[in-house]
Amino acid sequence: MAEPLLEVQGLETTFKTPDGIVHAVNGVSFQLQEGETLGVVGESGCGKSVTMLSILGLIPSPPGKIVTGSANFFGRDLLKMSVDEIREIRGAQISMVFQDPMTSLNPVLTVGRQLTEPLRLHLGMTKQQAEDRAAELLEMVGIPKAKDRLSDFPHQFSGGMRQRVMIAMALSCSPQLLIADEPTTALDVTIQAQLTDLIKRLRNELGMAIIWITHDLGVVAGLAQRVIVMYGGYIIEEAPVNELFANPLHPYTVGLIGSLPRLDESGQRQLISIEGVPPLLFEKPKHCPFAPRCKWVMEHCWNENPPLELVAPEHRVACWAWPEVKKERPR
Amino acid sequence: MADNNVLLRVENLVKHFPIMRGIFQKQVGAVRAVDDISFEVKRGETLGLVGESGCGKSTTGRTVLQLFRATSGSVYYDNVDLTKLKGEELRKMRRKMQMIFQDPYASLNPRMTVGEIIREPLLVHNVATEADANDRVKQLLELVRLNPSFTTRYPHEFSGGQRQRIGIARALALQPSFVVCDEPISALDVSIQAQVVNLLEELQDKFGLTYLFIAHDLSMVRHISDRVAVMYLGVVVELTTREELFKNPLHPYTQALLSAVPIPDPVKEATRKRTILVGDVPSPANPPSGCRFRTRCPIAESICAEQRPEFREVKPGHFVACFFAERFMK
Repeated sequence: MAEPLLEVQGLETTFKTPDGIVHAVNGVSFQLQEGETLGVVGESGCGKSVTMLSILGLIPSPPGKIVTGSANFFGRDLLKMSVDEIREIRGAQISMVFQDPMTSLNPVLTVGRQLTEPLRLHLGMTKQQAEDRAAELLEMVGIPKAKDRLSDFPHQFSGGMRQRVMIAMALSCSPQLLIADEPTTALDVTIQAQLTDLIKRLRNELGMAIIWITHDLGVVAGLAQRVIVMYGGYIIEEAPVNELFANPLHPYTVGLIGSLPRLDESGQRQLISIEGVPPLLFEKPKHCPFAPRCKWVMEHCWNENPPLELVAPEHRVACWAWPEVKKERPR
Repeated sequence: MADNNVLLRVENLVKHFPIMRGIFQKQVGAVRAVDDISFEVKRGETLGLVGESGCGKSTTGRTVLQLFRATSGSVYYDNVDLTKLKGEELRKMRRKMQMIFQDPYASLNPRMTVGEIIREPLLVHNVATEADANDRVKQLLELVRLNPSFTTRYPHEFSGGQRQRIGIARALALQPSFVVCDEPISALDVSIQAQVVNLLEELQDKFGLTYLFIAHDLSMVRHISDRVAVMYLGVVVELTTREELFKNPLHPYTQALLSAVPIPDPVKEATRKRTILVGDVPSPANPPSGCRFRTRCPIAESICAEQRPEFREVKPGHFVACFFAERFMK
């Protein structure tokens, strides 16, 4: 296999809070190939966003702390870089789109000013060049009358349009990797469909790799090639997208897929609910983090946290009971 | 018209919010949040009300309960027009109609204990003495599968899903027959959503509740509803049974909405054809003339700008507001 674009090894991130230390990410390792789209799925507090923020050096410290781990991007460890070094990479080679387009745009600067800033900073364009390129970018993401809108402020755009501006900004320096953190969650379904369509088109045109963080399995099904499922700060399952949906092996993944009502089936089936609540992460559990909510829990699960192991081609799962899950899961 | 099966009948309901300007607060316009809608909710059924943000679905729910007073139109509950009631008469009716709110963080008073929160409706409506009320609170907590000893705790000690259960217990305290569920699960995590939906369904079976279930998540609406009404920019564009709506959607907006919902199945997603709507929802302060949807509609013609399409029954039980609905009929 070719050298991966990004290789994260054993990442651990904690936060110091008045109530104690929160173990947000507990030893996460994964790879990303060039041009690949990786979906990262999990509920709030599972560590999916913190993982990506850690890689980009965006964890406020204190209270945050990257305890250990490495993140090799083109053979250089992002976690060991100085503030200046990582700033050169962020926005140029790796860029990010956030969930809330209103708070991630500066409300007192025009969209044009915010779009031209990375172009002038990273690519050294002149003002005129940058403005021309900014208009091109807005056009590329489907904003009508792009040139006129450069002088508008963020509040003059709708939510969907603002997210398009964010995408234009993220793509302005032709990054090799785009990290999208729930970019469509705050938007209506018809707008969400517009944006996922746009991202797919741009991916095919520009060929960048994408890490798409979401809690919505439906979005992942249509977009990602490979999926990582996170729970309680751990990766608990990883597989190519078709394999994950056809053959989920972790009880949490099975539960997540079963808890979704689907538009393509008539609604009489009772939804499978996962009883209990996600863990609080104040201590790193000695047992499997999902054990308190698991239907397949065995004694061994309480004694040792299962490692993420390869159980089928490209399919990794962290569960002692996966052979039973495979036999007994509802279909 | 006095059909005994119908619990709630909404007729030509309109709710406009005035826009005021200047120091004399002169009215310069109105946000037409709900603009002439009619529908019925049958006893014991769940009517799903779906639409995107700003389409007026929550306003509809609140106007039905008289939390907003209607600009015009009527809301008949058991053949009593709620819009004409005032004071004590309205208060009496309110016992029978309750609401479950979207945000379990904002809808519970942080300074009240769980016991006080659930007890409040009982005391306000004078249906129980203090001692009876305490027993009733414990029963209600058990009903929503919370530990009855939680009565002395405060809302911040609970997770989102548990808070939503507290909200449900409060709504059921007065034994209502009609409950408006205003996006009760959209603030919750996926694995918790199923818990709350299953609970709502179970309570409906147990007490014969009638739900108006407001949501933007079509898959969830499909799961829980018997009939579904689709709203767009203040009007209902389509209303029919769940099976019919998802099998034969007749309004172009419903069709687009359905095709926009992602399906958690990569094999199906890969081969799916989607209708992607262009543009955004227009402002309800200045809606398009004629058909509200025409500015984004793939099949709009000149007549759509001139006339407002009538909300008509194109086949038994299937209502659509589109001039060209017949084109899509099998």
